[in-house]
Amino acid sequence: MKLAKTYGYLKKDLDQIEEALNKVIQAEHPVLREASTQLLRAGGKRIRPVFVLLTGQLGNYDLERIKTVAVSLELIHMASLVHDDVIDDADLRRGKPTVKHIYDNRVAMYTGDYIFASALEHIASIKIPNTHRVLSKAMVELVVGEIEQIKDKYNWDQNLRNYLRRIKRKTALLIATSCKLGAITAELPENQANRLYQYGYYIGMSYQIIDDILDFTSTVKELGKPSGNDLLQGNVTLPVLFAMQNESFNSFVKETFTNPEKVNHNDMNTLIEMLKKTDAIKNSYHVSNLYLKKALKALEPLPDSKAKHTLQDIAKFIGNRRS
Amino acid sequence: MDINDMKQMIEEKLQHTYLDKYIKKPKIDEEKLLILTAIINNTNLPDIKKKQYIITTMLVQIALDTHDLVSNTNGSDGKKPKQLTVLAGDYYSGLYYFLLSEIEDFRMIEILASAIKEINEYKMKIYYREPQSIHEFFRNVKKVESTLVLYVADFLQQAKMKNISEEWLFVNKLIQEKNQVRAVGFSPLFEDWLHEAPKENYNSLLFKVETIIQEKIVDMKNYFSNGTLSRSSFTIFTTPLVKDILTKETSAVEEG
Repeated sequence: MKLAKTYGYLKKDLDQIEEALNKVIQAEHPVLREASTQLLRAGGKRIRPVFVLLTGQLGNYDLERIKTVAVSLELIHMASLVHDDVIDDADLRRGKPTVKHIYDNRVAMYTGDYIFASALEHIASIKIPNTHRVLSKAMVELVVGEIEQIKDKYNWDQNLRNYLRRIKRKTALLIATSCKLGAITAELPENQANRLYQYGYYIGMSYQIIDDILDFTSTVKELGKPSGNDLLQGNVTLPVLFAMQNESFNSFVKETFTNPEKVNHNDMNTLIEMLKKTDAIKNSYHVSNLYLKKALKALEPLPDSKAKHTLQDIAKFIGNRRS
Repeated sequence: MDINDMKQMIEEKLQHTYLDKYIKKPKIDEEKLLILTAIINNTNLPDIKKKQYIITTMLVQIALDTHDLVSNTNGSDGKKPKQLTVLAGDYYSGLYYFLLSEIEDFRMIEILASAIKEINEYKMKIYYREPQSIHEFFRNVKKVESTLVLYVADFLQQAKMKNISEEWLFVNKLIQEKNQVRAVGFSPLFEDWLHEAPKENYNSLLFKVETIIQEKIVDMKNYFSNGTLSRSSFTIFTTPLVKDILTKETSAVEEG
């Protein structure tokens, strides 16, 4: 089953969001317009808007307002991806060429800034102070997380806490924020909005851990980038942390990355095979499942509704994701 | 509102231990800070609000300037400085939003965001070397330099300050670029124009730039003397820094 099936009934609202996304980033300059819509055309799960819609449906659902928040969140996410591709020197994203690859770094910087500003201009129409406080705080934290990621690159002696804090900022925070913003916009009581934030946080943690697992277990075709790419970039993810407990993997990884620029395809294949032979993947799934259980628990006290069931289904789907 | 105090407050906001270790401290454009302070000082806003507007607008300017430093290649010291330059710009942008969210100023969030959008449109025109004439090229440069401040001036209903601010920021940019050419023989901005104008070289371009600077300085001096500006806004243009630039540039042009 596909993830989109769990929230198929949202299609009409999601189509409206897609339309609004496209409308908001129509720059006048043809290259800026083309570059801004490039990532949009590449598609994506639109998981953040989905969370805004679903949590919004738990309260006073005003589609126009909910849509504004969902569109802005997705644009902020997109702007950060355009800049991330400059940071990672990435040529492909979601299997499609990146803005940085089609044009260059400079255009990618202007495009990211343009999309980011479009998002803020758009969400400024929402006059709920808490919406802006929550979102702006998340945005700063998101960047701090990325700075931390660069700081921790090729640091083989980091611990689990470093990793969890990093993925919290990298992924979980924006999903948690999506859930909370949907709740705030739909005027849910604070305790419910906080529960939904927790749900989003746990789901985000689980989602990122599985993403980090798939980096080793999926094919190039499934990933849209080479397997083991995170490790190649020096990102020490959960499977690597577990695998590092194995002495031969530990010494091989440190030796291989003595000079990261010289790591080749064969080295990476050897590392991936070695990692798969340890318990790293199994243990990582175990941690991911612990977060999923917490996500489901956070939802329990909320009143029963179709949207709540969908949030539960999404959690279960994420737990079973294998590609 | 003291410029040095403002500068210090902005520097405090920009501080980040890890970024400071690997990338150059962002430059605070003092002339832009002066103009902005002049505009904001001319309003009846409470001091705290004035400070917040100056800090957030300057953060946006610094974020944009920082992203202009991201090159298409890695530098000699590897890719880390480039990566952190991207993130530094994003961090300063995030801070502007965060600070205005704290004071629930949704309108200013929108004003600054609209300015960022427009500036990037002009930057693209320059980057894609679209201007067909040197006047058009300079018009775009002027827009990139002044749009942010002009949006704030409009928002604060300081229309009288717009013209002089726009001209002053433009002249200042030309002076900066000219000085860079004299120091290192190169200006990335001027290169964008020279690339499209094969008959032009740095000598002929600098001559045109000097002429424009001279004309604009005369215009500005007239503007100051005809009493269009209120006493409080005029004061900022008579600070030692501005006076020094005006005097130096006038004599440099006169000396030929």
